[in-house]
Amino acid sequence: MKASAIATAAWSAFIAAVVTFMLLPLALVIVFSFNAAALTSFPLTGFTLDWYARLFANDSFWPALTDSLIIAAAVAILSVMVGVLAAMGLSKLKGRAAMLLLDILAIPMMLPALIIGIALLSFFVRVLSLPLGLPTVILGQLVVIVPFVVAILYARLSNFDWSLVESARDLGASPLTAFATITLPIIRPSVAGAALIGSGNTLPTLVWGMVRTSLDPTINAIATLLLGLSIGSTVLALRLLDYRR
Amino acid sequence: LNRLPLSGRPRLAQAPLLAPAAILWIVLFALPLFSFLVFSFWSVRARIMRPDFTLQNYVATIREYGDVLLITLGMGLIIALATTTLAFLFAYAIRFRAGRYGDMLLFITLIALFGGYLVKIYAWKSILGRDGIINGFLMWTGAIREPLEILIYSHGAIVVTLTYFLLPFAILPIYGSLRAIPEDLIEAASDLGASSLQVSRDVVLPLCERGLGVAFLLSFLISVGDYVTPRFVGGGASMMGHFIETQFSFGFNWPKGSAMSFTLLAASLALVILCRTLLRRLLRP
Repeated sequence: MKASAIATAAWSAFIAAVVTFMLLPLALVIVFSFNAAALTSFPLTGFTLDWYARLFANDSFWPALTDSLIIAAAVAILSVMVGVLAAMGLSKLKGRAAMLLLDILAIPMMLPALIIGIALLSFFVRVLSLPLGLPTVILGQLVVIVPFVVAILYARLSNFDWSLVESARDLGASPLTAFATITLPIIRPSVAGAALIGSGNTLPTLVWGMVRTSLDPTINAIATLLLGLSIGSTVLALRLLDYRR
Repeated sequence: LNRLPLSGRPRLAQAPLLAPAAILWIVLFALPLFSFLVFSFWSVRARIMRPDFTLQNYVATIREYGDVLLITLGMGLIIALATTTLAFLFAYAIRFRAGRYGDMLLFITLIALFGGYLVKIYAWKSILGRDGIINGFLMWTGAIREPLEILIYSHGAIVVTLTYFLLPFAILPIYGSLRAIPEDLIEAASDLGASSLQVSRDVVLPLCERGLGVAFLLSFLISVGDYVTPRFVGGGASMMGHFIETQFSFGFNWPKGSAMSFTLLAASLALVILCRTLLRRLLRP
């Protein structure tokens, strides 16, 4: 009895330590975005919204936000479209063949982003002579996001009963109607999850510049906004898709 | 699936569904990577890339960056081991130890995925920095008089920051394979007299090999290719990614940067295959 009580206490302490490790840094970022002092350091000196005001007055903030939202929306929509189709195709294959294809498809997700990034950059610039801009950023994001989407959806679809689709088709429903009315309602919580990974991955160049040049609490403010935006969009997407049911 | 009438249908019927993903994979991944590989054999004269077939870039990579390569692989190994171990223990706790708090811990893991990569690096920069939270707190309590310089711009700072970033990504696949282990299998093993340590080692660990493999591979490959964390919290302690990035931003020597990238990839893959063989031996004695 005593040994198991010690084990339980040890596991609780371990869980508490890991939870603290995972959440405390983000919590500190949020707290210091409202702290009056210019240095990110305890003790706290008082509540302020100055850092947010300074951020909103920054000329490069609004265009950066707009671009990020455009990229996120385009990547989410395109990756879910491609991903849903691929996951459906894979789930109809034999388990081994599907796993092999999934592993091949997942290689871009595994490789260092730096190497994929510069390989794409040199391909766009040297081979295709494309101008760099929002479209090339969206294409670059798709390469890494689509495997995530396919993997999530495949996991959900592979224990999904295809006979439901077959019987709807037998009753005269077109494959598309069958997809929209039966397949999508069953997989949609996963589609939402996949779409969110798609949009949560955009790299804000504004933060890049700020982190490089200064340790200013304005970064805390933009970090808090990004955190709120990503969690908020998750909750909103789950609401829209009626996840509670 | 096989019990359905579908199985008689030709496999080619799935081709249109897979086509968009396959085209994307070929045009935006395979072709760019191949052309990037071709560039690594080109030469540069007077700052202009010229088609060529030379191994000069690879020779230069080994000669100039051999030691950086070894440090990078070592760091990747340390970070991947730390991340995978922590992630396994935490996923194990969610699955078998946390009881009704399991869902909450899983939700916390999902929250930790958010926030973005740069924001997380920045968070650790402000925790470990010279004027950061730890130094500020220690000086405020009177434990130290001067800020500790060793907290940031060290290998330790890179390990902590990357482990922090990778942990939720590693927990999820391991939890996925732990969830697939049936409860009665564990019960049967303990009914037959296995201690909980034996159950973990002989039943649970071998069954979540795929999850452990994915977690290890993901955290190792992301660490060895990273150039942002070493730059912002690593200071002088630079890793391979930093020097590769430099070839593209300041050096304008794309063929050399390409050769450095493929040397890093090849060395990483060799190490991963070695680790995989060792893990197999360890899990199946």
